[in-house]
Amino acid sequence: MMWKDKYKIGVELIDEQHEELFRRVSEFTKIIRSEEDWNSRIDKVKETMDFMKDYVIDHFNEEEAYQAKINYPEIEIHKKAHASFKEGVDNYIKIFEEEGFNEDRIQEFGGKLMTWLIMHVGNMDQKIGEYVKSKGGQI
Amino acid sequence: MKVEYVNSFYKAAKDVFQLMVDIDPQRGDLKFIENISNDKDANVELGVIGDLKGTILFSFPKNMTLEMVKILSGMEMDKIDNFASSALGEMANIIGGNALTLLAQHHYTCDIVPPQIFIGEYKPHPIDSDKALLLPLLTPIGEFDITILLKENK
Repeated sequence: MMWKDKYKIGVELIDEQHEELFRRVSEFTKIIRSEEDWNSRIDKVKETMDFMKDYVIDHFNEEEAYQAKINYPEIEIHKKAHASFKEGVDNYIKIFEEEGFNEDRIQEFGGKLMTWLIMHVGNMDQKIGEYVKSKGGQI
Repeated sequence: MKVEYVNSFYKAAKDVFQLMVDIDPQRGDLKFIENISNDKDANVELGVIGDLKGTILFSFPKNMTLEMVKILSGMEMDKIDNFASSALGEMANIIGGNALTLLAQHHYTCDIVPPQIFIGEYKPHPIDSDKALLLPLLTPIGEFDITILLKENK
């Protein structure tokens, strides 16, 4: 299981979305690491990637809207981190469009995506939770 | 080489390991080595440019690499494939980035060149004939090294 309870920030909506994001990335990782023939998995890989790309964007937008609502002081830094996360994903999508869905490249992307997600949620997003707590709980 | 360099990489490695794999690495004995090389199984090379110029090498044994990626993904790993090496490279990249943020507090402004991953022994570059500093880090899942070769470029 990729998700750990320590990643919770204490804001229900965001925690639910993070858990869903981890579930999707876990599922994606399982598909790309399965022993089955690559061609039989490729449609599932594409479908999961499409969903994930949309979900990441929706989640980042909602998280930024929440940060604006609570006047989160580090919102601009956080927006930059989201932009660079999205850029990382987009760069790989461009590679896949140009080179096709090559298994080695997808594995490489999967390893990075997992690490980015854990680092972003486990580190940067925790600061939102700390800010909310410093303001006395749910804002 | 200055103590700030080593401390920045040690602190960054400690923080990232605690956060990502729930492991608290402990410092082993620092030593100077003739040039930057390592015979551990998975090596990640980061180039540093800016006020400091040089190379940082992260070196991990195979079993430790597999155990780390297993902790991250929750999945069994039996070989260092593209998925595992890419995750390892990214972790080293994050440690390097955080170390440079710490070094910026000592007024060194630097950037990282994207990581290069070498599976198998890392052979020294013929041009890197300077002495490097090897920092061993001890963890319950194995011992890894950070080798630092940095020169002031101001």
